[in-house]
Amino acid sequence: MDLSDFEADNSVSCRLSSPIPEVCKTEDCCLGIDEAGRGPVLGPMVYGICFCPISKKEDMKNLKVADSKTLTEAHRDNLFLMLDEAKSFVGWALQILSPNTISTSMLQRANYNLNALSHDAAIDLVQFALDCGVQLKEVFVDTVGPAEKYQDKLSQRFPGIEVTVRPKADSLFPIVSAASICAKVARDHAVKSWKFAENLGEVDTDYGSGYPNDPKTKSWLLKYLNPVFGYPQFVRFSWSTAQTLLDSKAVPVHWDDDEEDGKKVSARQNNTSMLSYLSRNKPDELTHSRDTHRFFTERKLQSISNL
Amino acid sequence: MSANSCVTSFRLDSIKQADKPQVHLFPCEIEHDGPAEVSAFFTPTLKERKHEVSVSFRGRGMKGQELNCPQGYTGLVLKEVQKPASDQEDRIVKVSSVFHNFTYWNLETPPTSDDGVVMAMEWPMLAEAIHGPVDK
Amino acid sequence: MHRRSRHSMLHTGSSEDSDPAFTKLKNPATEGSSLYLFGRVDDSVYEVKAFTEEFRSWFIGQTVQRDGKLLIVTPIDPLFLLLPYIKSAATEGKFQPVKQMVMDEDYPGCTQLLQCEQGLDSIHHVADEKEVGSLKFHSYNQEKTMAWLKKKVQRTVTTLKKSNISVGGGVKSSTFVRVKQEADAREEDYLRYAHGLISEYISEDLSKDLLKHLQLPEISSPKETEPPSKKRKLSDKPVEAGEDYTKFNSSDFARKPPKKMTAAQKTLAKVDKTGMKSMASFFKVKQEKN
Repeated sequence: MDLSDFEADNSVSCRLSSPIPEVCKTEDCCLGIDEAGRGPVLGPMVYGICFCPISKKEDMKNLKVADSKTLTEAHRDNLFLMLDEAKSFVGWALQILSPNTISTSMLQRANYNLNALSHDAAIDLVQFALDCGVQLKEVFVDTVGPAEKYQDKLSQRFPGIEVTVRPKADSLFPIVSAASICAKVARDHAVKSWKFAENLGEVDTDYGSGYPNDPKTKSWLLKYLNPVFGYPQFVRFSWSTAQTLLDSKAVPVHWDDDEEDGKKVSARQNNTSMLSYLSRNKPDELTHSRDTHRFFTERKLQSISNL
Repeated sequence: MSANSCVTSFRLDSIKQADKPQVHLFPCEIEHDGPAEVSAFFTPTLKERKHEVSVSFRGRGMKGQELNCPQGYTGLVLKEVQKPASDQEDRIVKVSSVFHNFTYWNLETPPTSDDGVVMAMEWPMLAEAIHGPVDK
Repeated sequence: MHRRSRHSMLHTGSSEDSDPAFTKLKNPATEGSSLYLFGRVDDSVYEVKAFTEEFRSWFIGQTVQRDGKLLIVTPIDPLFLLLPYIKSAATEGKFQPVKQMVMDEDYPGCTQLLQCEQGLDSIHHVADEKEVGSLKFHSYNQEKTMAWLKKKVQRTVTTLKKSNISVGGGVKSSTFVRVKQEADAREEDYLRYAHGLISEYISEDLSKDLLKHLQLPEISSPKETEPPSKKRKLSDKPVEAGEDYTKFNSSDFARKPPKKMTAAQKTLAKVDKTGMKSMASFFKVKQEKN
């Protein structure tokens, strides 16, 4: 799999896709959606779709792509090659969500959680297939969050397409297994050949599985923790594993939307300021001081008495 | 004598030895004074597009813009030469760095001419009007 | 014309005596203590304003500086600083040497103002002058002072009109971009705005006198019944979804007390042998003499 488009800038998201088989533009098709790398604290999360004519469902079964989780990496690479060989009737597309995108999305002011991020990636991919002329009639998805809600969301978004959201869809529907293979192969390759944007010299690539409970992953996180910057962009800052380590080993950083006891720090401080304003407004002519001109207050400029 | 009699003198000749570093104003408070691996972690991850730069810091997206020092002004970083033993003593600062522009960063929001620091740059021009000598 | 130069407003002095110095003086408006800078070359005096936004830190080269303040050092008319001394020494018809008027136990640095060319040369703007032999004597004159302050206001109005500074009600457009509204601003808006700016450098009494002198009706003080204009205006600002407007007026909030040092900070503190606080600032460069 050629990931060079993603590797050119792995701080942002990237879409990769196979050529669209001609038969998919003329015949009714089914499409499977699956993801890879949802749990790990390291590397990208990959969303994959795979599609083929409904008439070719049996051929998909014969590719024996089922249950990618139980396969070895080498086995998955092999199956991806087989999918590639079937390109006359099988197409795929991927949305690679860079760890930086995941961090900045999940940590942004307006709450954007991982489920919403996943749903949007899936929706974008289905839309992409439609835009390419694929005659979609059936969509099969492994569940993300509550299956019913997700199914409603997708059905509403894509009227006329029969949507099936099902836990363990990747072992039930060969087209989902195929999507899963594509996503996992991309995720494996991206992690293995991660190009660090940072100048870290020779980087130890023994990250382990990338799952927070893997001791190798944990020791890697400790080794590459920087007291000021935290981590390279390879790490998902929004994961509690990363946050917890930063809280204890890195220099504290405060933002204006930080929350303390569920309240924004800036809001809390504003309350104090309003209180002091009210007390200042009590009829005490002696403490009455003139307000600074708004030219200065608007510009956050003030006189100082000490350096 | 009151503490107001203390002055902080400013070793101007130190300007000759001052370096000219890249200067950034971040949208967060970092509880640290001292070294940071800026060239290893930060500089290589900057993304420049037209008039806007973007980067992430600690997993938060930031958008920035370069600002020039107001015309006729020079940016200086002052450093205290020696910590005074008490607040009743004169102090000495030297120029450790000189800069002519810097990049200011907003948390997520794109830089606009309404940002406080941009508007603050209007002050020297207005100060000139307020404080310049009036005609006889 | 100003020259952009590494040499700031002062020639690099050879002896320590000629170094500029930050000095505390009595703020003519608040009567509190404020920081000023005396230059040496042309004996000018500068005002120090700090741009202070909460949640700001500097990266300077390969270092972090926690304190995100930016000092902007601009020339100040020394007469503003001399005026309170001259005014308070005023006795009907009595002339005194300025040296006798400008003395302050609390702010010994004030005598240095007498060395500022722009200060001594312009005392006649606020005082009557008598020369006896080689000695000059002065007596505060309110009318002259008002005329001088009015000229200051007019100069400021001229500059405001050329600028993008919005002097009107501060109406913001829904697109979150400042509306340039010179067209809508009335003459009175400019006068009031400029009066407000000049009032930052004079006592409250003089400020009120000046308002009358400018024939501007006094607005019934809004601060008695409403929160300060700054807050009122800021809350009018449309804010982006999910954004807290309070971030816009956080400038005057006290900083959080420093937390205990983390292990990382301790390590870094060891590395940083200097351990000294530094600050970023802007300075006016020396004016080119033609």
